[in-house]
Amino acid sequence: MLEFEESIGKIWNHVLTKKTNTAYEDKRVFFEDKSKVLNIFYRLLGGENGKELHVTDKRFIDTSRTLLQKISGSGKIFFLAWQDETGVYLPSSLAYFDSHEQNSMMYIWLVAMATRFDRYRGNLVEKNFHASSELLNRYPGFIAFYKKAVDQLIEKNEKLSFVKSLDGENLTDEDYLEHLDLYPFPLWLYPPLSSKKKYSEFDDKDEPVRGNNQTEKIDTLKMKKQASQIDDKKQTDGLLAFLPDALMSIMEQVNVDRSEDDSFDEDALYNAEDLDEITLGQKKANLNARLKMDLDISSNSKEEYPIGKGYFIDEWDYSKDKYLKHYVCIKPLITTNIEPVAFPLHLKKIYKKIQAELDLMQLDRIKNTNLPYGDELNLDTWIEYKGHQNKSGHHQKFYTNFERKMRDMSTLILADISLSTEAAITQEIRVIDAIKDSLMVFSESLEYLEDRFAIYAFSSLKNTNVRFHIIKNFKEKYSDYVRGKIDNIKPGYYTRLGAAIRESSKILNKQQSLNKLLLIISDGKPNDVDRYDGRYGIEDTKKAILEAKKLGLVPFCITIDIEAKDYLSYLFGKNGYVVVRDSKKLPKILPEIYMSLTK
Amino acid sequence: MSKIYYKEHANEVELFEAAASMHLPILIKGPTGCGKTRFIEAMGEKLGRKVYTVVCHDDLSAADLVGRHLIDEGGTFWQDGPLTKAVRDGGICYLDEIIEARKDTTVVLHSLADYRRVLPIDRTGELIEAHPDFMLVVSYNPGYQNVLKGMKPSTKQRFISLSFTYPNADIEKEIIIKESGVNADIAQKLVEIAGEIRKLNDNEIEEAVSTRLLVYAAKLIVKGFDEYEACMHSIVESLSDDDEVIEVLKKLIDLHFHSKS
Repeated sequence: MLEFEESIGKIWNHVLTKKTNTAYEDKRVFFEDKSKVLNIFYRLLGGENGKELHVTDKRFIDTSRTLLQKISGSGKIFFLAWQDETGVYLPSSLAYFDSHEQNSMMYIWLVAMATRFDRYRGNLVEKNFHASSELLNRYPGFIAFYKKAVDQLIEKNEKLSFVKSLDGENLTDEDYLEHLDLYPFPLWLYPPLSSKKKYSEFDDKDEPVRGNNQTEKIDTLKMKKQASQIDDKKQTDGLLAFLPDALMSIMEQVNVDRSEDDSFDEDALYNAEDLDEITLGQKKANLNARLKMDLDISSNSKEEYPIGKGYFIDEWDYSKDKYLKHYVCIKPLITTNIEPVAFPLHLKKIYKKIQAELDLMQLDRIKNTNLPYGDELNLDTWIEYKGHQNKSGHHQKFYTNFERKMRDMSTLILADISLSTEAAITQEIRVIDAIKDSLMVFSESLEYLEDRFAIYAFSSLKNTNVRFHIIKNFKEKYSDYVRGKIDNIKPGYYTRLGAAIRESSKILNKQQSLNKLLLIISDGKPNDVDRYDGRYGIEDTKKAILEAKKLGLVPFCITIDIEAKDYLSYLFGKNGYVVVRDSKKLPKILPEIYMSLTK
Repeated sequence: MSKIYYKEHANEVELFEAAASMHLPILIKGPTGCGKTRFIEAMGEKLGRKVYTVVCHDDLSAADLVGRHLIDEGGTFWQDGPLTKAVRDGGICYLDEIIEARKDTTVVLHSLADYRRVLPIDRTGELIEAHPDFMLVVSYNPGYQNVLKGMKPSTKQRFISLSFTYPNADIEKEIIIKESGVNADIAQKLVEIAGEIRKLNDNEIEEAVSTRLLVYAAKLIVKGFDEYEACMHSIVESLSDDDEVIEVLKKLIDLHFHSKS
């Protein structure tokens, strides 16, 4: 019986949505397929470097709809392009037009608009008008697209015809602004969906406040995944899924605290997944929640002793374009009561192989004799030639060449041991295990090559506590105790990468070697619980790397981030990083990377 | 003798002449195709000095620069290398992409590049004092530096440095017009395209479009090729092999040159 009801509902819904749906489904173009191209294009046209392109969530706009649309519930949700200081947000797919070409061109148009939009002042209409005019002026290739697009959009919805009458003078006219509220023009950019700024400016100095200052403003959280699901070919949805939207209004509100993303309130998260949409109150977490979070993820600190009270270093704030002086507290830690650990058995086989490779690369002065050309004459062969009876058949290879390779190298290995490294690769191995294994194999290899090296590991909990574990400094001899310390590494907290790089650079810079390599092993983007996330974290890390390069160090990043995207090359430069997809292979790959770097 | 066309970007001609008169060596940094070699040739012509160009590479040894013993019927004889020739007879010795040469090779330049201005030749025991017209010029492309290759600071610090970039839009436009004879509108478009491509970072393309490529594009257009075609072959395909990057660049060219209606 229920099934029957459902199928009737489906048919009914199908008929209704089909009738009201004005999209060209078979010509739909998806953001996902285009994201790389669009990202490059964004930068090509002058988009800001730290920004990335994302999928936007839906936005609700009250429009005067036809009766049919009212019943079916469509026509109220829009996917419009917008941007804020951290990214550009585009619809997950587009199907406004009757050709793939036109639809993908629309993506390009929106991206181009994003590069121009903020160059103009004024209200939304003015900005959009000026940005479009500039694009059409500069790129004749847009003209045909734009004409056709405007015509087709107006054909579908006459209310949009106001766009055609814009001429640069009536831009501030109330009428137009009103139109705009009624029915948005898809080729334009719109204001940010949520006032995300409030989150990014959340400072850890803000004490959690309860009671006052609780704005009741409700924002829609951007949820990439969800958005792409919704926007997809969802024609077969049950009637029930749509009806409540139009007929009665049920709003579920769960307190999910965005500022502290990682509070592990399982129920809330479970509910959140279940919800169609997460509405988000701008409340800050209460004290209990915060305390709980810290307890949840604290690493085993039993044997860790801080050396001194820690000291303060600067951090780069891109939004203010200056350093925050003495903002980050570095706390060097040393682990005591370490048991010596022998080289692990399971790594012996890998190490044997690596050792064989290393043997091939022994660095000595190599003398090549009997060359047809070279730096030096080899008198022996000359005399032999002269004394030989049958000169014509004798090789005239009289030269000697000396090839000398030197490697005057200090290497500092900086390992990210944030909690995210606890993620499992397979059922037995976690990322942290792969990192530990590779540190073992790698230090063994470096010891074998007699290269100087140090190992540090870090994690962080806000700017006040960047935990900088000393595993082996440059002076310490490599021993079973060093292996013991590697073995004892436990993941915890977050990744304040910039601070750790600054600290490592300082240490490495004191070394006397000609070449100084800063090898960073990480599993993902810089992030921390405060605003150190997204663009802020990336810009600070970038700055730290630039500082290191200025000192003459060579930073190189090995990352296990499978989704590692553009930010890596932005941070380290094209030749400055490598992504290891299969982290199980990390122990083997690490020495290879080192050899190719120092060859 | 036809004069080599070179359009000054900033004060480099003046600096070069000053350095030449004071016997100071010059180091030129800059991306490919921005006019480094053309500049040296033009300066050589202007100062009336012969230019000895050596393109450096991994296997370049000191002997390749200084000279070596060769053998003929009579026995061995000494053959000057390009550096020694310039030192003896006067002239500009231009070492292109010096960073590609091994560091121990470039050490032979040290005594030439400071106040001593002498070239000791170990193998013959000779100590040659540089001709007054001898000038040492080296260049490299900072973009190509691989992770650990760099110039020894002790080498680097013996030179007057000139940093070249692509010329600014107006000068570049003028260069394109002058070199290819294309009309101003198209030159303007090409410069705009170049400006945009140069915004990409080194992740997407290895190195941005050079003035040289723009001139090639302009030449093809003058020869009668369609603008889009010309840019495709001279700019887009030369810059990247990555399909996605090519797609984006194609789109960009299309946006600039597409509809003439």
